[in-house]
Amino acid sequence: MSSSPSLIHRRRKDHRRGIAYSVLLVGNTGTGKTAFANNLLESAVFPHRYSLETPQLPGNPRVQIVKPTKVVSYNSKNGIPSHVAQFDASREHLEPGITITSTTMEISTNSEEAGSRASVSSDGSSSAATQQGVATDKILFNLVKTHGIGENLDNRMCFKEITAFLEQQFDQVLAEETKIQRNPRFEDTRVHVALYFIEPTGHGLRELDVEMMKRLSRYANVLPIVARADSFTREELANFKKNIMDDIERYNVPIYKFEVDPEEDDVETIEENQALALLQPFAVVASDTKNSDGEYVRSYLWGDAKIDDTEISDLGVLKNVLFGSHFQEFKDTMQNVLYENYRAERLSSVAEWDVDQQKAVSENKRDSGAPSLSNFASLITTGQFKSSTSLALRPQSETPPVAVDAKDSVMEDPASPTLRQISQSIRRGNEEIINNIKNSPRAEGPGSPDRSKLRNISETVPYVLKHERIIAKQQKLEELEAQSARELQKRIQELEKKAAELKLREKLLRQRHLDGSASSLRSRYSTDSNISQAAPQIKKEESRTDLASIVSGKA
Amino acid sequence: MTSDKAPVGISNLPNQRYKIVSENGGVFTLMVCGESGVGKTTFVNTLFQTTLKHADSQQRRHLGIKRTVEIDVLRAQLEEKNFSLRVNVIDTPGFGDNVNNNKSWQTIVDFIDDQHDSYMRQEQQPYRDVKFDLRVHAVLYFIRPTGHGLKPLDIETMKRISTRANLIPVIAKSDTLTQKELHDFKIRIRQVIEAQEIRIFTPPLDDSDASDPAVKEHARQLIEAMPFAIIGSEKKFDNGQGQLVAARKYPWGIVEVENDAHCDFRKLRSLLLRTNLLDLILSTQESHFETYRRLRLDGSGSPEDPSLPARAPARKLSHNPRFKEEENALKKYFTDQVKAEEQRFRQWEQNIVNERTRLNGDLEEVQAKVKRLEEEVRALQARKR
Repeated sequence: MSSSPSLIHRRRKDHRRGIAYSVLLVGNTGTGKTAFANNLLESAVFPHRYSLETPQLPGNPRVQIVKPTKVVSYNSKNGIPSHVAQFDASREHLEPGITITSTTMEISTNSEEAGSRASVSSDGSSSAATQQGVATDKILFNLVKTHGIGENLDNRMCFKEITAFLEQQFDQVLAEETKIQRNPRFEDTRVHVALYFIEPTGHGLRELDVEMMKRLSRYANVLPIVARADSFTREELANFKKNIMDDIERYNVPIYKFEVDPEEDDVETIEENQALALLQPFAVVASDTKNSDGEYVRSYLWGDAKIDDTEISDLGVLKNVLFGSHFQEFKDTMQNVLYENYRAERLSSVAEWDVDQQKAVSENKRDSGAPSLSNFASLITTGQFKSSTSLALRPQSETPPVAVDAKDSVMEDPASPTLRQISQSIRRGNEEIINNIKNSPRAEGPGSPDRSKLRNISETVPYVLKHERIIAKQQKLEELEAQSARELQKRIQELEKKAAELKLREKLLRQRHLDGSASSLRSRYSTDSNISQAAPQIKKEESRTDLASIVSGKA
Repeated sequence: MTSDKAPVGISNLPNQRYKIVSENGGVFTLMVCGESGVGKTTFVNTLFQTTLKHADSQQRRHLGIKRTVEIDVLRAQLEEKNFSLRVNVIDTPGFGDNVNNNKSWQTIVDFIDDQHDSYMRQEQQPYRDVKFDLRVHAVLYFIRPTGHGLKPLDIETMKRISTRANLIPVIAKSDTLTQKELHDFKIRIRQVIEAQEIRIFTPPLDDSDASDPAVKEHARQLIEAMPFAIIGSEKKFDNGQGQLVAARKYPWGIVEVENDAHCDFRKLRSLLLRTNLLDLILSTQESHFETYRRLRLDGSGSPEDPSLPARAPARKLSHNPRFKEEENALKKYFTDQVKAEEQRFRQWEQNIVNERTRLNGDLEEVQAKVKRLEEEVRALQARKR
């Protein structure tokens, strides 16, 4: 509600430090995210999968890596982040899980945009780019990248991980906003644009695509992108684009739509947005290798696909949209619509909060060019309201135990006792902090009830959020530890089995050595036993079918 | 017996055989397997140079976004130079399309097993005139051209298929990989196949065989090219020399399907049809079917009884682990619901009991009051007298 002064404050600060701008690259493995990232910044930022070296590219003097790539979140059954794992043929059958990495760069935009050089000014939008207010020198560009989506047998955990990550960024900002003492060096890591790379199947969207985009769109502006568009001929591409837009309509995926307001926008903007809306989803061919003429190409035996050619790919247009024409637009939508909605929902679940007023404010703030409200309305209504964790249902003093109770039941699974002790001590500490805040005389100080409530919120919210976050983190760590322990156990068993097998074989060999005549028989026996080992694969496993056993097992 | 006699005609045996075979024709069952959108349908049509199978309409695709793996069987009769070949193409739409693809190979594996099973049972009948043989002779597994490696889903599925049928992995849509990427990709796939002990079909390389070196050389070439990088196209374009060839026309060039420099389509076709069709069919019969049969009969415990497969194979849907999982989840849900209801009823009962005791208490109180009042009345009456 009172975020606008802080916003202005922050924006002023931005100009000194550079404007924070965050882009998330999501998509199945092998859709060209790495090549796209390298091409976007025209410098070797990421190495390709299975290679340690980044591709050979002349470094872009305007791009400077401030914070090198680091893993911000991961989840995997093996308990290790796997995005940098080297190729190991014998371990390829293990599910890689999901890893999210973040890289921060400083892009200096002296006279022209970082993207506008490459953008072939097909629609004469370079003028639009400068007018949009990116007149500052620096962009603090944060590139978040996912690894491993679509590679797992069960990809549901990918949703969870990504949503949790995005939510965490929102929570951090929310916690910062409501604090009394604000951290002047606070870094806003919310993701402004999510580029979703659609696998070039030629058919349409798949379940994974729809689910992922729906989830992402609660936290960021989602731009669907046809990845590796060089796998289509011209007609196929047009067809595929149409299918995707049909599917987006059909499944009601709230992507970012280039919409115009004929009353407020000028003619140029309207034309531009209409052209962009027609072009969606952008078809991208990315490459980080150059040919002898210094153009980025994908070089095939039958010809070179020049990726900057607007006939082939919309890469130039996309770059221009990202860094030029819609730069501010994306930031505004994220802040004023998505974040405000999230904040309203979050606060109303933390404490009784005047949601209606909140909404009215956020609606007033909406820009003319904001994405279709109908889409976001559907978003808000479908957004699950976590009533189970909602703290508003209980009196304030009871809040921490509620969260802890829920966690304790989960905690039953085997984890190392030391870890549990640590986590419990941390949790106790947190509870104390929160209780102290609650019981402090200031909270019951003078003032109208509304005001004290407000203050209460401003004091408790950051800590409650932080507390929840810490607990979630602990839980995840425990899970990961349990997983890796299980994995180790399994591997030990495998090794033991193998050792036993080897011993058996050794024995057999020795016997064969001793007894030449009987050896042939025995070896035949051993092959037989090998075959019968394979038998369980074919046999269908028996399973419990009677209800009673389950019931009694539960009871 | 001696060479000076006129030939008795023994040497004509191959010709007789030829006649029989060419009259009966042949059967070839091919399964294409892979995620949606890797070009399975197009490939089948390119392979047989006719539109055997039409691409699914967008409507059909949208029956539901959450999909189960299905099995589509397509039968066709192809004729070339008076020799007819019955082709069964088995498609597996929906494979790998879901968010959770665990166990999605089960349908495919079950299908292959079922065919073996049905053949085996027909063979065991007193009149074994096998009418229905849909045993899969070759499985083409389409790998998505990610340029990285094989996914766990690919590996798990290929492992399971390779113990049951002739598996031929192919890199789909290979025209989206540059030469170097393709080379690296192939090497990685080969390493994974080796390390994970996936048995793929290789054309026989008999050293003892006195066959001519050209054949052997060809087989070696085929092995070296594995996994085959293929592209498919139903359209024909001018290749620059006035010939119409099957190709894909990109703005940056034309990719010819039957050009060995562009892809391995010709090699794969040669493997599937020209040189190794018989190998595929025979190895299905001799190796995979025999293995299945032995396991089935061995496992049943009473191989002495020749007339019947001792145990009627469980040909029911419930053995799919996915269904099992779902069933268990539903059961759990059900029991939970029941428990919750019971809890509610118990609570209710408790409340009723409480209410009753409270009312009883009230009643007693009231009765006591009444008694007291009566006493009072009596006392008052007594005093009045």
